[in-house]
Amino acid sequence: MISLKNVSLVFQGGSVAISNISTEIKEGEFVYLVGHSGSGKSSFMKLLYKEYIATKGEIEVANIDVSNLPRWKTPLLRRKIGIVTQEPQLLESRNTFENISFALEIMGNLPEEIETKTNTLLDLVELNDCAFKYPGQLSGGEQTRAIIARALANNPVVLLCDEPTGNLDPDLSIQIISLLEKINRAGTTVLMATHDSSIVNRRKKRIIELKDGKVKRDELNGSYVVR
Amino acid sequence: MGKFSYVLKNTLVNMRRTPLLVFATIIAVLISSFLVFTTLSARSIVQNNTLRWQNGIHVVVFLDDRVTTTAHKQLQTSLESYPEVRTVDYFSKPEAEEEFKNLFRDQPELLAEVDYEILPASLRVNLNDPSNYELITERLEGNPAVKEIRSSGEAIERLLSLTDTLVISASAFALLIGFAAFILIINTLRLAAYSKKKEIKIMRLIGASSTYIRLPFIIEAVIESLIGTSIAVGFGWALIEYSKSSVVADSIFDITISDDYLIFLTISLLMSSIIFGLFASFVGIRKALND
Repeated sequence: MISLKNVSLVFQGGSVAISNISTEIKEGEFVYLVGHSGSGKSSFMKLLYKEYIATKGEIEVANIDVSNLPRWKTPLLRRKIGIVTQEPQLLESRNTFENISFALEIMGNLPEEIETKTNTLLDLVELNDCAFKYPGQLSGGEQTRAIIARALANNPVVLLCDEPTGNLDPDLSIQIISLLEKINRAGTTVLMATHDSSIVNRRKKRIIELKDGKVKRDELNGSYVVR
Repeated sequence: MGKFSYVLKNTLVNMRRTPLLVFATIIAVLISSFLVFTTLSARSIVQNNTLRWQNGIHVVVFLDDRVTTTAHKQLQTSLESYPEVRTVDYFSKPEAEEEFKNLFRDQPELLAEVDYEILPASLRVNLNDPSNYELITERLEGNPAVKEIRSSGEAIERLLSLTDTLVISASAFALLIGFAAFILIINTLRLAAYSKKKEIKIMRLIGASSTYIRLPFIIEAVIESLIGTSIAVGFGWALIEYSKSSVVADSIFDITISDDYLIFLTISLLMSSIIFGLFASFVGIRKALND
């Protein structure tokens, strides 16, 4: 599902974000990408959806050769991936329903399809009661769930979540993780970047730990000890 | 359908967000298009009139009263033998007086004052090619029967030169205003793109194509450009219609311009405005969307 072979990312000016990483994530896996701030987690994620272009190496995501994908074909890759980034992603002028249906709208779905699919997604993330609330009226956890729902709108085969629990308290974080696990059980491959060791250690999933842009550790049922 | 309604909705939202800039853009496009329309129409009118004049009398040879009528007739025969000359008509002193009275019939004071003896007889020459008027004037120079030579060719050349200057000046001005409209469209689009930065970022993450993201901005620029040009063309047509029935129309200047030419001009301007809008939008949002 996701494959990286000898991938490096060096920014202009020479700073190395990713250094010769090779790894593979299979279809249906749930993987935590851990490491300190600046270890390269976000860069790793951005390489997968071609926000950054690898300086060296080969990347394949959902059977698409990302390394050789022309820039104009990037949207085709992103339609197969659900992306949840660190930045606030909800549009303030739209309510929860509209924020989720926005993804379906711009992909050209018919109005009836948009309504049905949006309601299903609201069900999945348990936000039915907040459908007509605006982002300012939602809690941090609810906002994250709305963003996840939108990322799932076009049935992605992979869900990339970059620090989705970064601003949430432990209880809300657990709710989000449970939701992601539920999505994973339905067949979607999930890769989640986090520096929250308490979450990771409780779930006993595969862990890829990055340090200085390199894979320090890759363990099934691993734990993350912050040193 | 969903995509189309999104694009259309967002185009209108963008335009509603910056109404003053949109208005200024439309006005700038309007002025620029109006200048282009009116100057090209004016040029066509002048050319039509020039052609009309060129089919008439090209050289008038005023004859000296002191030489005999026989000398006048000899000069006429001599002129008729020139290969450049089509016809030569003799216009006697009484005929000149008659023509003068007819021309100034509305000014009895003037007619009462004039000494008709000073009006000379003349030869009115029509040339095969009006541009050859200089050859005729050169040949007649120094002829004792000739008092003075006037050629319409000279006047036509002056008029055409004046029209060309007018067209060039107006075109330069239209270009300047057009450039201002171009800058305004770019600014309007950049503002719209900036205000929708977050939305655009989300669209890119979801997998919306670049063309799809750009469409509302492109349509906005084309709409603004088309509105400005359409109003300008409407004003232009109205101005021509008004001129046809105005005082100018009663003068020697004939305000006629073919409908075919006006339709061609209208379609060309509308097509140009679409291309202009497309180009301005391309330049305007290129950087904004690449960020």
